[in-house]
Amino acid sequence: MTAVATSGFEFLREHLRARMTLAMLVVLPALFVLVSASVLGEFAAALGGSVAGNSASALGAGWAAAFLAGALGFFQVASSRGADRRLALAGMGAARVAAARIAASVALAVLISVVALLTLQLSSGVAHPPHAFAAILIFALIYVGIGTLVGSLISDPLEGSLTVAFVFLIDAFSGPGMSGSNGIAQLMPTRKAADVLIAAGAGQGSPSGDWIAVGLTTFGALLLAALAFWLSARPRSS
Amino acid sequence: MNGRASTATRMGFREQLRRPLLLVLLVGLPFLFISWSIAITEPTPRLITLPGGEQVLTTMKDLHGAIMVPITVGFLAGLIGLFVIRSALESDRRLVLAGFSPGEAIAPRLIVLLSATLVVLGVSLAVMALDFTPAAWAPFVAGNLLAGLIYGAIGALAGATIGRLGGAYLMFFLPMLDIGVAQNPMFFDGAPQGWAAFLPGYGPTRVLLEGAFSQGFDAAGALLVALAWLLGLAIAVIVLLRRSLAGR
Repeated sequence: MTAVATSGFEFLREHLRARMTLAMLVVLPALFVLVSASVLGEFAAALGGSVAGNSASALGAGWAAAFLAGALGFFQVASSRGADRRLALAGMGAARVAAARIAASVALAVLISVVALLTLQLSSGVAHPPHAFAAILIFALIYVGIGTLVGSLISDPLEGSLTVAFVFLIDAFSGPGMSGSNGIAQLMPTRKAADVLIAAGAGQGSPSGDWIAVGLTTFGALLLAALAFWLSARPRSS
Repeated sequence: MNGRASTATRMGFREQLRRPLLLVLLVGLPFLFISWSIAITEPTPRLITLPGGEQVLTTMKDLHGAIMVPITVGFLAGLIGLFVIRSALESDRRLVLAGFSPGEAIAPRLIVLLSATLVVLGVSLAVMALDFTPAAWAPFVAGNLLAGLIYGAIGALAGATIGRLGGAYLMFFLPMLDIGVAQNPMFFDGAPQGWAAFLPGYGPTRVLLEGAFSQGFDAAGALLVALAWLLGLAIAVIVLLRRSLAGR
């Protein structure tokens, strides 16, 4: 347990050691939430969607957290493959390396979500902050899973970044309140999370079925991330 | 270009062509982003203000088609600039140690970046032309090319100064916030807000919107602003790369 905590902390430190990376993690979600708050309702209307006002602003916070978390998940896997394998071979084991990576990713997702929530609170207000925070964090955690899955399949940074962007844009454009709610929109990973976040933005509760669905999706995404980290860290048989 | 630089350029292209997924993404992403954006947008009326002050009544669908081209080109060129330059910094120092001048090492990378930007621009324009025809092609193409080159240079600068992860975060968001929101006439009152004029996407977007919706050309000021941004960024990229490659 100590090894997982120590390694998780070191992975986190490794990520935040570059001041500019830390600055981007704080500034970009805040900027996106501030700038998009006033226009997302208009954008949704142009696409024939209905989301508006505080719900649209809240959705922007979720998107910002998701996009950053997707890139974070991708680079965590793509850039650490060699180091993680050596760490596993040195005695830590692939499972504990994966647990430490997940812990670091969740901590960074929490940081991004806190920034997005605070900006949302300051710019347009949030009726139920814990509800909104949970929904934003769910967006981020789902994209940690997507990013790590992409990172486990694609090692090139440009190809991987573009793939994460590709998934994100399809997901965002076809989400609830945007272009529609049928067909491909039903299959999108953050569909239920967006329902919960839109409700939180409007100050309404969400049905328990939605919470169960987002809980299961988040659990699945983190499981996928753990599997991707474990696969990249496990020693190869010679 | 001398023999060594042209060999390095050939190798630079070969490096990119060896990654088939990249080519699929560079063609597939513009196709999907632009055609889908146009398909899902409602043709609701929208009054916009062009650079000369002329007001034009168009539709959200046409606007979305026109504005998705620079968003896509800027986004992709920025990421390409970021990773091409990161790769250059990691490997081209060896070329310099082996006897290349910094200029001979930098030029092939910039040619690859320019070529990739032209590919993305060509695909984006072709996809857009299926659903939307600009009033005047020349300023529309010029504005989009400037957007791609400016963001390619910003990506290159981010690659050289911020690093891979911070640069990727920046290039994910900056084109979206700048061209996608601040300059986008789908929002606000159909013209960019005052603060948007200080962003790099201002000049190119005003030029291309003039081309998209007017047969005349009243965007000379915006064109000069875009060219000034491009010149400044290009000088910064070249100076920074020369210093990085020669400094060790």
